Amino acid sequence: MLGKLLKHEWKAVWKVPTLLIGILMFTAVLAGLTFALPIWDSEWIGLPLSGMMMILLFYFAMIATGLGITIYFAVRYYKNMYTDEGYLTHTLPVSARQLLLNKVITMSAWSLIGGLAVIVSIILFGEVTFLSLASKDSTFARELAEAFAELPRAMAEIWYAPELKGINGFFASIVCLVLASSFSGTMMVVGSINLGQMVRKHRILGAVGAYFAINFAMQCLTTIIIMPVMILRIDSMYAEPSPFPVLTPMYFVMAAVSLAVAIGLYFVSEYLLRRQLELE
Amino acid sequence: MNELVQINNLTKVYEKQKLALDHMNLTIPRGRIIGLLGPNGSGKTTLIKLISGLLVATEGEVLINGLRPGPETKAVVSYLPERTYFQGGMKVKELIAYFADFYQDFRPERAKQMLANLNIDENARLKTLSKGTKEKVQLIMVMSRDAQLYILDEPIAGVDPAARDYILKTIISNYNENATVLISTHLISDIEKVLDEVVFIRNGRVILQDTVENIRERRGKSVDSYFREVFAC
Repeated sequence: MLGKLLKHEWKAVWKVPTLLIGILMFTAVLAGLTFALPIWDSEWIGLPLSGMMMILLFYFAMIATGLGITIYFAVRYYKNMYTDEGYLTHTLPVSARQLLLNKVITMSAWSLIGGLAVIVSIILFGEVTFLSLASKDSTFARELAEAFAELPRAMAEIWYAPELKGINGFFASIVCLVLASSFSGTMMVVGSINLGQMVRKHRILGAVGAYFAINFAMQCLTTIIIMPVMILRIDSMYAEPSPFPVLTPMYFVMAAVSLAVAIGLYFVSEYLLRRQLELE
Repeated sequence: MNELVQINNLTKVYEKQKLALDHMNLTIPRGRIIGLLGPNGSGKTTLIKLISGLLVATEGEVLINGLRPGPETKAVVSYLPERTYFQGGMKVKELIAYFADFYQDFRPERAKQMLANLNIDENARLKTLSKGTKEKVQLIMVMSRDAQLYILDEPIAGVDPAARDYILKTIISNYNENATVLISTHLISDIEKVLDEVVFIRNGRVILQDTVENIRERRGKSVDSYFREVFAC
């Protein structure tokens, strides 16, 4: 049944986040293309200003994509589970666990896709910007081509420099943090909405309050746990030329805390759906 | 086992100590059309929601085929709530596919036939349909299942008399004869002719469970008249 739930959920939700990501990519290309236009050297301030506005638009599109996807899924979760639509959702012959897993898997996946889309859009913006500048200046184009040809060798050299010692572990910690954040971000939203249902007369207000309370508790917990790690590693900060031996464990700890809180919220949510469900 | 639903000592207390069901005991047999009748606030919808698994009891239990509400009971209960529960963006045909995917007892051909009878376009999006048409689509979905228990909460409220007749005809002609139909309504005179049995509820307790025939013979009254007498203000 979980497979069927996922199939229908995916089919129902893909359009909105895909549209947001499409708009993001479009603005990335447009912002990059402004560098191909002869506007930056113009004496009339309006032209370079409009170019800057285009870049700002791309910046806002990045924020809007992440925020938009989160808000869209939060509203959808609330409507599907606790409004009139809940009368169908909760009378399907599936367990509370399957209902919850369906939502959490879909939301986490789209949160991850949204995050990756932002990274891809930045790369796209960079690529289009370089190409735009190269189209105006043949010297720059030649230098750019040479720089790209040199890039693999230079990277290989830098990668093993003492200043970048432990960079592989650092990247691993970033990947863990990104994956954990996709799940924990989803569970913060889902957990808050479920906890908000306990405030029967003010369910939405309860959910907003729960979100801020969970966020605050998570920040406190992260700080409390990270402090000893930082103190233990303080000598490395001065002894080593690379920042990664300090940053890597810190990021791993942050990922572990996020994951632990998310798992806790998952079980609380499942309990609330199974034992405290009360549709209006 | 002739009883389909067994309700033992069922109590539901809402927030602020509002007692909706008060240690209710009730047995719902198979193969009957039962009217669940009572004034506003008597606990009809709360009872229905508890049987459907949309609420959790404060005390006592609901057993359907001997099981507490869960995926197994939801697979055999077909519930029509008072409100429309569709996602507006869906098309009617997508809704049919959705029901067919989740309910093994759903009969798509029956649903399509009923939609055709009412000239409802399968390609129409639900948000484009009128309130009355949405209610009809919802009833068609519910009655296109070969369920063991149909729970219909106010199925004829808010529709015109012609539509009422169609709805009642749909209910009678589509339910499996071994199944039970539990209908909650205020419009007793309209549904009286299809009922086998009635359950009167007041203040969260069952005050009467009897056959329509007995009420007519022993009390010499229609169910509607008897209801008015029992619940006179």
